[in-house]
Amino acid sequence: MVEANGTSLVEMRGIHRRFGDTHALRGVDLTLRAGEIHALLGSNGAGKTTLVRILAGLDRPDEGTVHVRHQLIERFDPKRLRTMGVALVQQHFTLVPTLTASENLVLARPDGWRRGPGRSESARLAQLIERTGLSVRDDVPAGRLSVGEQQRLELLRALDADARVLLLDEPTAVLTDQEAESLLSVCRALAAEGRALAFISHRLAEVFDGADRVTVLAEGREVVRDEPVANHTRSSLASAMIGHESSGTFTDRGGREGSRVDARLVLSGIEVGRLKSIDLSVAGGEIDGVAGVDGNGQSDLEAAVSARVEMKVGKVELDGVTLIPGNPRNRRDRGLAYIPSDRYQFGLVGSMDLSDNLDLGRVPRWRRSRTKRRAGRVDELTLWDVRTSGPGARASSLSGGNAQKLVLARELDGTPKAVLACYPTRGLDPGAADSVAARLVRCANEGAAVLWIGAELDELLAVADRIVVLAGGRLLGPFFPPYDRAAIGLAMAGESHEVTLR
Amino acid sequence: MDVLLKIATLEAAIRLSIPVALAALGALISERTGVLNLGLEGMMLSGAFAGYMANEVTGSPWVGLLAGIVVGCGFGALLALAVVTIRANQVVTGIAFTLLASSGTTYLFQLKYSIGQKPPRVDRLGMPPLVAMTLVCVFALWFLFQRTTIGLAMAATGESPEAADALGYRVVRLRWIAATLGGGLAGLGGAALTCGPLGLFIRDVTAGRGWVALALVVFAGWRPGMAVAGAFLFGLSDACQLRLQGTKTDIPYEVFLALPYVVTLAALVLRARASRTPSALAVPFVRGVH
Amino acid sequence: MNVVATDPPGTPAGGFMAGIGRRATSGGLVSQIVVPVAAVSAALVVGGILIALDGTNAFSAYREVLRAVFVGKRGLSDTATAATPLILVGLGYSIAYRARVFTIGGEGQYLIGAIAGTAWVTAGGIRTWPGFPLVLTGLIVAAIAGAAWSGIAGLLEVRFGANVVISSLMLVYVAGSVLQWAVRTGIRDPDSFVPNSRPLLAAQLPRLPGTNTHIGFAIAMALVPIAAVFMARHRGGFRVIATGFNPNALDANEISKKKVVLMVMLIAGALAGLAGMVETAGSTGRLGAAASVGFGFEAIIVAMVGRLHPIGVAVAALGLAGLTIGFESTQRVLDVPSTLVGVITALIVVFVVIGDALANRGREGR
Repeated sequence: MVEANGTSLVEMRGIHRRFGDTHALRGVDLTLRAGEIHALLGSNGAGKTTLVRILAGLDRPDEGTVHVRHQLIERFDPKRLRTMGVALVQQHFTLVPTLTASENLVLARPDGWRRGPGRSESARLAQLIERTGLSVRDDVPAGRLSVGEQQRLELLRALDADARVLLLDEPTAVLTDQEAESLLSVCRALAAEGRALAFISHRLAEVFDGADRVTVLAEGREVVRDEPVANHTRSSLASAMIGHESSGTFTDRGGREGSRVDARLVLSGIEVGRLKSIDLSVAGGEIDGVAGVDGNGQSDLEAAVSARVEMKVGKVELDGVTLIPGNPRNRRDRGLAYIPSDRYQFGLVGSMDLSDNLDLGRVPRWRRSRTKRRAGRVDELTLWDVRTSGPGARASSLSGGNAQKLVLARELDGTPKAVLACYPTRGLDPGAADSVAARLVRCANEGAAVLWIGAELDELLAVADRIVVLAGGRLLGPFFPPYDRAAIGLAMAGESHEVTLR
Repeated sequence: MDVLLKIATLEAAIRLSIPVALAALGALISERTGVLNLGLEGMMLSGAFAGYMANEVTGSPWVGLLAGIVVGCGFGALLALAVVTIRANQVVTGIAFTLLASSGTTYLFQLKYSIGQKPPRVDRLGMPPLVAMTLVCVFALWFLFQRTTIGLAMAATGESPEAADALGYRVVRLRWIAATLGGGLAGLGGAALTCGPLGLFIRDVTAGRGWVALALVVFAGWRPGMAVAGAFLFGLSDACQLRLQGTKTDIPYEVFLALPYVVTLAALVLRARASRTPSALAVPFVRGVH
Repeated sequence: MNVVATDPPGTPAGGFMAGIGRRATSGGLVSQIVVPVAAVSAALVVGGILIALDGTNAFSAYREVLRAVFVGKRGLSDTATAATPLILVGLGYSIAYRARVFTIGGEGQYLIGAIAGTAWVTAGGIRTWPGFPLVLTGLIVAAIAGAAWSGIAGLLEVRFGANVVISSLMLVYVAGSVLQWAVRTGIRDPDSFVPNSRPLLAAQLPRLPGTNTHIGFAIAMALVPIAAVFMARHRGGFRVIATGFNPNALDANEISKKKVVLMVMLIAGALAGLAGMVETAGSTGRLGAAASVGFGFEAIIVAMVGRLHPIGVAVAALGLAGLTIGFESTQRVLDVPSTLVGVITALIVVFVVIGDALANRGREGR
């Protein structure tokens, strides 16, 4: 059954979804119509992925209704929604990497228990390729295909099952420009066949190149609701994505009291992962904010500056001394504090107690007895306001805010010369976020060079003395106060004239 | 004369390689599906014991082979229960199973034949049926993984259980099947030893061949044909070692004794980066946790 | 196939080895005491049933075990002697396993230690040294050789990602070949018809005064508190434990996890090598072709049942040794096969592993 263009295939109404304390979706509507491409925009954590996962049956709404082809969905089950014609192409692919393209197709939709010889399976793939114009090699395992090909294979698999509603979660984030361009033209062709498409994106250019309608989410709410793309300009969407002036819950940077030392923390010519020749010099007594959307090299920058990885090219210097990659104690001894983005993976050992976690990175050759170790940490925990049953509690028992305070207590102890803070307020409630920000501001006031990689633009605007944007592995800017939000927003969306993505 | 010697060595090589080849195929099928079977040596050993006992009671080596398969399957199913369903640690469970089989067979054997009492030799199968059986097993595994949907689903389960689960395959059930069949093949390998050329059971008769089979699977990159080829190389090395043991040579025979293991180590190093290892090997599957 | 987790967040840490050791290392009364006690009891019950099926009264069999160990002549000292290599190898395993480095190659390191130590103390020019320096240097050589052998597997792991479980095991068989060659050719006693090394003579370990146990037992028991202090109070122990729980956090803040993997492999190897020489110089008196008796594998049981804690290891080793000695007597007196000990100990491990998994599931609330 093929619906006429313009018929609505999906109707989501008043969708709410909560995860613990976070309210990911707060009453969102979404309509997808046959023959249309719908762009879903929003910054990290706005709720886009949650929304499409619900539609694909991978998650369920707490409130609200979902109709697919006029049928009310009561049981959210991926298999059921797949048979109803909904297919989701996720950011991480669900192909089996060791199987070839044709084998992946057969696995998803086998013809009986016996498989034909490889020839017949390849022929099936070839037919599908011919029908859709999506080309994929069949002579290597799927894991060795380029990401663009893998994505086309995911699409082929969806089309093999004759999906009428195609959901693409950031399909272009991992693609080269040419691949992204060809994907968009494929999408247009698929829509022309009467399918409904929705894609999540951070790149404004694609929205104007490919989409017919646009919805922008911010903090789980729709700030632009199902409007024709033609009604918008790039800057209107950019400011909608970034959100409006916030109430300023974050600590203002205020006047710096300490003396400003030029070029304390210096990154020169760093190339690793997605980073392309990163140069940055952070002055002592200053907070440099790195804005940008996740996946543009943020994790590589974190790994490089924290000296966790060997770099192909480039080095990190602190007060003129080069940090030794792969030697974390050297980093600490030189005076670089590191607040990792994932505190549970890189900052804390959840199964060990708080006093042990405070020892991490500075444990003496001989340790005192456990009782004395714990007793010796009581004051420190009080000082840093870590609310816990005591130093003997396991780190995994702490709430997010208290876990972060524990990391701060360890890393900011003494007077660090520089601080690398990666998403230091992520996942914290406003009170905790504020106190963490205040601690970092105090570090800068005491003369430390602070490099703050952040996701919340409002927060960076409030605390940073200077903002650079990391997009496509390159640094754009710097921007100085008073900040031009629109300019920063455009740079974050990869729209700056200074840069061509990849 | 020289040619005859070589043929004799070749024949010995094939004879020595068959039990290892069968066990390696057993390890292969369960590892492709994501279950690391470190109990392989134990399953071989229990198969060897069951095969010998059944052979002795019934007088038929074929019944012996069948008994080996049955006991191996039983052991494989127990492993599946422990590591797939209860999700016990696969490494330690496997080692524990091997220890249990080793001591269990020794105990049962000692019960039947007290020390000093000579156990009888049983009827032996000749080489042709054993070779044919091994070839059939290789073909069956090739067919399973290349020409059936369930084989494809098994391989997918070992590689990406989440993907297999999302496509509607029953990960736990596939792993049960693979572990059980794998145990059966290992048991058959053991029985092929005692009902085949040896015709005897002695304490720890498999002498580490199960461990060799495990290493061969790595060496073979989880391909059935390569596993059997590797088993043959092992047999050849073993045959050379046995031949050289009686003679005076420049190369000590112990070199050949160590050779299969050194080659395996080298293969392990070379293969480790090639990443043919099933990604989900030894990782328990819990839906929604990945 | 890395033993140490390098996976991105969200995937089970360690891939190939995911979940291993967490159960054995995480605390809690259930995991520390209840599981091993229940496992031992259950195994003894099954053993008793097997004895009864064989037509012997299980209670009298166990009574005989206890009598042989605690009342019988030499029972305690034989137990101590038998426990010595198990304590040493088990201590090494317990440290490695806490870092979730699952070496099972103790047997190979044990043999290489025995070979190297024997080669040293029977070498011309050295075998005439007086007892004390001879014994001491022999033990040191053995420990270094064992560490080097174990270090191979460690190095292959950190440099090439070759799985420690399989590589350490392959090295056991290579070590077995080295042993065959050594006693047949390398360090063979020219005056002996069977393949054997020269007798160790002055290099033999002296008896502990007033007992029938060699000083190796005292060395092993002395290493128990040393290992405990290392784990509890030394930086190295902290790093080992942290690696077991979260290698990424250690890697980002304290030291490269690869260094920890190498360190635990070296420690485990040194202890196993030491065990090999202690057994040769303390019990057998010379190195023969049958030196491989499986202590390296039994010590896995000891480490697991001992909950990877030095004191637990000592208790488990003594318990296992006691069972072995006791059942030897039971065989003589009641004709119960001594090989039943193997069944009981293997059952203990099976029950411990399954008990851990069940306890873990209970905690997860599944």
